[in-house]
Amino acid sequence: MFIKTTDNMITKDEIIEIIFNSIDEINEQNRSSIPKEASTTLFGSQSELDSLGLVHLITSIEEKTEEATGKNITIADEKAMSLSYSPFKTVETLANYIKTLVDA
Amino acid sequence: MSFLLEKFEEYAELPAIIFLGKTFNYRDLLVKYAEAEEFIGDKNIKEGEVVSLTSDFTPNTIALILALVNNNNIIVPFTYSLKETEEIKFDIAKVQKSIFVNADDCYTLEEKGGTGEHELYATIRGRNNPGLVLFTSGTSGFPKGAVHDFSKLLEKFKTVRRSMRTVNFLLFDHWGGLNTMFHTLSNGGAVLTLKDRRPQPVCAFIEKHKIELLPASPTFLNLLLMSEEYRNYDLSSLQVISYGTEPMPSSTLERLKKVFPTVKLQQTYGLIELGVLRSKSKSDDSLWVKIGGEGYQTRIIDNLLEIKAESAMLGYLNAPSPFTQDGWFRTNDEVEVDGEYIKILGRKSEIINVGGEKVYPAEVESVIQEINNVAEVTVYAEKNPIMGNIVCAKVRLIEEEDKKAFTVRLKSYCNQKLASFKVPVKVSIENEQQYNERFKKKRV
Repeated sequence: MFIKTTDNMITKDEIIEIIFNSIDEINEQNRSSIPKEASTTLFGSQSELDSLGLVHLITSIEEKTEEATGKNITIADEKAMSLSYSPFKTVETLANYIKTLVDA
Repeated sequence: MSFLLEKFEEYAELPAIIFLGKTFNYRDLLVKYAEAEEFIGDKNIKEGEVVSLTSDFTPNTIALILALVNNNNIIVPFTYSLKETEEIKFDIAKVQKSIFVNADDCYTLEEKGGTGEHELYATIRGRNNPGLVLFTSGTSGFPKGAVHDFSKLLEKFKTVRRSMRTVNFLLFDHWGGLNTMFHTLSNGGAVLTLKDRRPQPVCAFIEKHKIELLPASPTFLNLLLMSEEYRNYDLSSLQVISYGTEPMPSSTLERLKKVFPTVKLQQTYGLIELGVLRSKSKSDDSLWVKIGGEGYQTRIIDNLLEIKAESAMLGYLNAPSPFTQDGWFRTNDEVEVDGEYIKILGRKSEIINVGGEKVYPAEVESVIQEINNVAEVTVYAEKNPIMGNIVCAKVRLIEEEDKKAFTVRLKSYCNQKLASFKVPVKVSIENEQQYNERFKKKRV
């Protein structure tokens, strides 16, 4: 399912695929049904995830991103928390944010 | 101390210690005691000097301890497994002379050159009493040297109690081991020493020596259950299994009860700083325990256990006093209370705070231990910007398994059994053993 790429290259679509895989895992563990769409709200009043669920999801995404790119990234850190537009809002904003981390 | 020698005279022909397959009776011990006294004289070990003793349970070790006690020395026991990094303990204790007892029970003396000066030592010397220095294991940082008045600790062995055939599973440099040894000797029992503390040799030893009491750690008992070695030996002599030194996972206790339905399962509670308290478990499969006994008072302040003990240490060699102004020792063990019984939840320092909720590693470990293919697990905290901290689990598996599949299995199982904030967020699989030579879990 994961495309191993060189030079840490990974497209946004591939990142979204990773996020969907992690959502599958979370749904299986929590018996929840978070939809796999780019517009899915990950955190906020519209979201099925509470803060703990978000932490589980992020950790899973970090692990999968590392598997795919060989790059160890930290998605949730002080920097992410202090951005004026939260990267955790939707699947799409999160994918954009991860892309900047992987490309950095 | 002289009461022990009198008892030895009385027990004369009874076996006192079985060492390397040979039985030594109490008369033999008295001969060895006389030799040890001569050694102390020859080597000019002066009263009040700080003397370390690196050894295990051997006939000459017993003789040396008693002779050093009689000479009012301050004794610092070490086991053979003392690592290079722990050499610092000689400096902390300002050891003047060091005795090394080898595997064949021959001993030699070395000058260590420490000053032997400390205000706590001065207090003990002022009382004309022997001393004892025991080190905290240092799992939570630097090892601390606890100074005891040895004469106070020997007091309780004056009372005659029944001595069960006990395997000296616990090591020589901690209370558990010393306590077993003194209890056995003061009641005319035989000290049964063990070289190899893994499940198979322990089971073989229990069968061979018709052991009645096995004092062990929860980590060891878990390994014993997992190894299933108990199926290969006749362990019907066992009457009591006592466990302490770390929190017992309730899942391990349940399995233990199933495997040993007729054996009494007894929780013990001891601390380097205070010695071993008398304790009584509510039932075999219960983690509720009543602790105290003669010379010990207990109280709970802010859910933390505090103990006042007549035989408490004087203080640490290298750390501030942990006693309250009125002499209570703060254990930092968080407990639940039900009438006279308490349940030990874990060390305050090990509690994980997840978004304001408390997680006790022992509780999570107990649940994970129930999962198929889990050999051992250690639960620990990691800082997290969203939750403050998150729960992480480091697992050793029995057989290889795909990490992703296992992680999903673990999280799903924990989700059914635990509140969501207690479910580990990060799971890692590691092959290395998670316990030290004391069969105690190594905390991260």
